[in-house]
Amino acid sequence: MTTACPFWLAERATEDSHLVSYSHTSIVGFPGAAVVTAVRPTYRRYRIAIRPAPDLVRLPPRFRVKVEKHRLIGLVLKELVRYRGDLPVILSRPCVYGVFSRPVGGLAPKEELCVGCLRCTVQHPEVVQIYPNPERERLGDSYLKPAYVDTLLYEARTGHVPVRGAGYRGPFGGAGWDGMWTDMSEIVRPTRDGIHGREFISTAVDIGEKPPQLVFDERGEPVGTPPKVITIQVPFLFDYPPRSARPRLLLEILARAAQEIETLVMVPVDLVVRFDLAGSHVVPVVEKETWRWLPRLSWSPRMIALAGWNRERVAELERRFPESIPCARVPMDSDVLDLVRQGARVLHLTADYHGMQGGSFVMDLIRRAHQRLVEAGLREEVTLIGSGGIVMAEHVPKAIICGLDAVALDTALWVALQARFAGECRDPETAPVSFPRLEPAWGVQRLKNLAASWRDQLLEVLGAMGLREVRRLRGELGRCMFQAELEREAFAEVAGYGADA
Amino acid sequence: MLTRRGSEQSIIRKHEEALHQGYHRWPTLDFGLPPAMGDERWPAELILATWLQAETGRPPVNGLEYRVGRSGGGFDALDFRFLPPEQQLSESVPVDTSIPLNRRPGERPVEIPIPWYGGGMSFGSVSEQIMLARAKAAKEWRTFTSTGEGGYPESLVPYRDHVITQIATGMFGVREETIQWAPIIEFKYAQGAKPGLGGHLLGDKATVAVARMRESVPWVSLFSPFPFHSVYSVEDHKKHIDWVRTVNPEALVSVKVSTPTDIDMVAVGSYYAGAHIIHIDGGYGGTGAAPEIAKKNIAMPIELALPRVHRFLEQEGIRDEVVIMASGGVRTAYDIAKAIALGADGCVLGTTELVALGCTRCGNCERGRGCPFGLTTTDPELSQLVDPDWGAERLSRLYASFQAQLRDILRRLGLRSVRELRGRVDLLVYRKPGDSDERGNRIGSGQAR
Repeated sequence: MTTACPFWLAERATEDSHLVSYSHTSIVGFPGAAVVTAVRPTYRRYRIAIRPAPDLVRLPPRFRVKVEKHRLIGLVLKELVRYRGDLPVILSRPCVYGVFSRPVGGLAPKEELCVGCLRCTVQHPEVVQIYPNPERERLGDSYLKPAYVDTLLYEARTGHVPVRGAGYRGPFGGAGWDGMWTDMSEIVRPTRDGIHGREFISTAVDIGEKPPQLVFDERGEPVGTPPKVITIQVPFLFDYPPRSARPRLLLEILARAAQEIETLVMVPVDLVVRFDLAGSHVVPVVEKETWRWLPRLSWSPRMIALAGWNRERVAELERRFPESIPCARVPMDSDVLDLVRQGARVLHLTADYHGMQGGSFVMDLIRRAHQRLVEAGLREEVTLIGSGGIVMAEHVPKAIICGLDAVALDTALWVALQARFAGECRDPETAPVSFPRLEPAWGVQRLKNLAASWRDQLLEVLGAMGLREVRRLRGELGRCMFQAELEREAFAEVAGYGADA
Repeated sequence: MLTRRGSEQSIIRKHEEALHQGYHRWPTLDFGLPPAMGDERWPAELILATWLQAETGRPPVNGLEYRVGRSGGGFDALDFRFLPPEQQLSESVPVDTSIPLNRRPGERPVEIPIPWYGGGMSFGSVSEQIMLARAKAAKEWRTFTSTGEGGYPESLVPYRDHVITQIATGMFGVREETIQWAPIIEFKYAQGAKPGLGGHLLGDKATVAVARMRESVPWVSLFSPFPFHSVYSVEDHKKHIDWVRTVNPEALVSVKVSTPTDIDMVAVGSYYAGAHIIHIDGGYGGTGAAPEIAKKNIAMPIELALPRVHRFLEQEGIRDEVVIMASGGVRTAYDIAKAIALGADGCVLGTTELVALGCTRCGNCERGRGCPFGLTTTDPELSQLVDPDWGAERLSRLYASFQAQLRDILRRLGLRSVRELRGRVDLLVYRKPGDSDERGNRIGSGQAR
């Protein structure tokens, strides 16, 4: 990560920070800023180290295996006669995954091994039936569905991209993020090597002030205060947990994982102080009620988030922490243009955990905010971070296409740490989330695995589009397709479409 | 390779017999619907209905839904605006289901009697037995099946007049003779299930036999790159086509692409590069292994791509010189007819054929030994669960059922040929699941007909 420095230099240095190490010297007039003076081509490629991190809490099996025991015994007796005691044939069982691998076979099936292939029930419908486990259906909530929980747990366990056989199994498009598809290019793109091999697709993004140009004086020295920019290596950072679950250990796990991934974690300022969570990766979040904790912050964060936007408080903040980037944490339906005109340059737009704010879904709100800034000619000067309703890997590129620079993750992180939701997990103030007994190294690895998997999936999406860096994805609405628009075009002449659409 | 020997014989026969009984018994609904079977795109009813059609050669009459799934959109929200009974064609009127595969003026005509052929499934993603079953069925119906990108097993050579040689980015198993044998050569630029990501065969399935065919290392995952490293423009693409036509001047050239935003431009470019067939594979297509993020989120479904391509080719004045084949979520005879009404000439079937052979859509194709039903596997034991002759018979009966349904649809629309259906979106009606069709039956309810 890079310290504050002039924008163009910051960009250059951070762009390359994961590729080549440079030696830096100070720029005259800009203490603390850096300039590239000599190149030492020592290659350091950004990567997140993954390692298996098995679930701490055992999940209910995906399927229930119901065996009619008396019929099974009858079947074996019948086969004894038919195959004249040829035991290898008689004892040969239909399951290739070992569900019936105990000596007593189907009398005590190992449900945890069942993958739902249904071969046993196809062969012997009167003996065995496979049911989806209703306990499994209770994971997550109405937005973060059980299938999402399954995927997140797999990602956190392994760090791998979920790969499966057979085609897509779900509904045709759908509401929210599901009604959006990303583009691909038939012939022009980085090769597959770009994703997993020699070439590099950058997932680094910049957060901070981005003036359109620098001004130089007569001596050729840049004028004014250098813009403050942070580069994080993935376009996602960690938001703080809901009020119901903020134990010290959890926050330490989030902070350490953020540090190792080279991203940021947002933590309420009172907890930053109380839990002594200092570090360049920690972003204290200050609310009206916790403003009084600010003087007790004994170190200078790179960014401080203010709940709401208050000019006096921002001025006070800049006076106390001149090195820090102020970030306005505001509801996603706020008037972003007004905030930017008031001087905000980093905005964290928030929605509830289901992605709703003021009756609209985040996808629409992000597009609206982005578009307003584009029309005002200010988009390039502003960083938009968004959170709420971003719970799957695909939501990250989709949110960026809609206009965000980076996303702040919430419920997906809690699920990766095997949190349980006792009901709807929607409002950060009241969300009923409980965590298992956390083990620090395990927790950090789970979050790193999740981040690695999501980054790899982002690379898949970028690679399919032929993009070499995620910065170029921001606001690229031409590289996505919305179901509603495509259907209007495709079915315009189909009777009944207009009425139902 | 395909012979059964040793002590496994009895075990394989036992399970094969039990499986065949299961494929027969479940569609009777004596055991209800399997509670854990199916998904929105392929509900249990549709899977069982396909099994039944593969056994009987006819659509179900016991109430099983065989026309649509429950995905809530696309094909599942479309129905036909059938004529009143008195205006429909009678059973005695012949209805033509054939389509041309070469519309280029002055070139050798090639026709298939049914508007579909089999899509590419590589040796490695499926067993040799499955490839052989598909080739046999293709021969019987005078249509085609495709090798996919995994080589051309020798057992397919007797069926070579019905086997499309696929050339994909990894060039696995592509040899001069396999190009020379092929009546159609298919360049696979992209696959709907994993558009822009190349091919993906996990190490567990790269057996010794598969590796030998692909000239690779056993048990090592194989990634086909993306894109063709020699193709970065339509001009490069044309050079590709010129290359294979030099090797085999008689072959038709098909270009398989996915569904990006500019699919219309891709289609025009392929036409001008010399393609006879543009095979558009929608985002909801099948695969032996693909990242889940790609299946769901990258590229548009085929239903939304077809009208765009059809109209654009019409505007360009070249629609009647090129054939559009659609795939990627085409499951039923009704889907085929709807795809044609949306602008395709015909369709390419993949998953449907596997379902006819016993697939339950469990999605475990990629792991360990592969498919426990012997379909998407190269495990020497599991693959023997499917006898190629049995498989060919199943596919033939499915084709018969589809053809009968297609003729029925055309008669009810008052059309004498499937060619008249192409691009007739005016014959479609948009209905959400739960709405009723013209006979008052609820769409997707299993009560139809």
